[in-house]
Amino acid sequence: MNYTVINRDVHVGDIHLIAVTSSAVFLIGDADVINLASAFDTPPESLIIGPFVPLIPGGGL
Amino acid sequence: MMKRTSIVQLFHGETVLFSSVLQIGDSQKINSRARVLAVQRQYELFFGNEGENIFPVFTKPIPKIQSDCRNISLQTLHQSPVISVRSIRIIAVSTAGVVHIGSTSTVDAEARIKHIRQLAPNSSEPSMGNTQTTPPMVKDEK
Repeated sequence: MNYTVINRDVHVGDIHLIAVTSSAVFLIGDADVINLASAFDTPPESLIIGPFVPLIPGGGL
Repeated sequence: MMKRTSIVQLFHGETVLFSSVLQIGDSQKINSRARVLAVQRQYELFFGNEGENIFPVFTKPIPKIQSDCRNISLQTLHQSPVISVRSIRIIAVSTAGVVHIGSTSTVDAEARIKHIRQLAPNSSEPSMGNTQTTPPMVKDEK
């Protein structure tokens, strides 16, 4: 497969960002390969209503 | 591949934290990792040694897309050799985030976050009915 990209003029005005987080990328420029991953875990079991005990090793919550 | 030049007139950043990267200029390889165990307790209590690598979210392998470029012939023509931006304002870059002014070759970032909330037992109230915090029925031992 032949794939041709023509980059013409790029002029951007004002960029206002609140946050770049959890392995996000904000890039002004060129890149060859970008690989991003983010895992966020907060299952129902992660809301513990009970006595304040340490998290059990191997509990797998 | 030839890379373009990035021109930014004004950059304003407030906070860069937790294994984040602010790169001004070209780079070859960016690798950022963050592992977060966020435990919120209703009362100030810190046990210190809990939760190190016991959760699957920190150990499970994340499958990666393998880019197979063998059958693709990529041709990039830079008609304009610059990317220009007048101003950038960013409040925060956090948790393996990357802000990059300039060109790069490979970016690899991974964030793994586990969020746990612990609330005091309160039998007099129906659960999940009210988010307002009330004094605990049982005083936890310090």
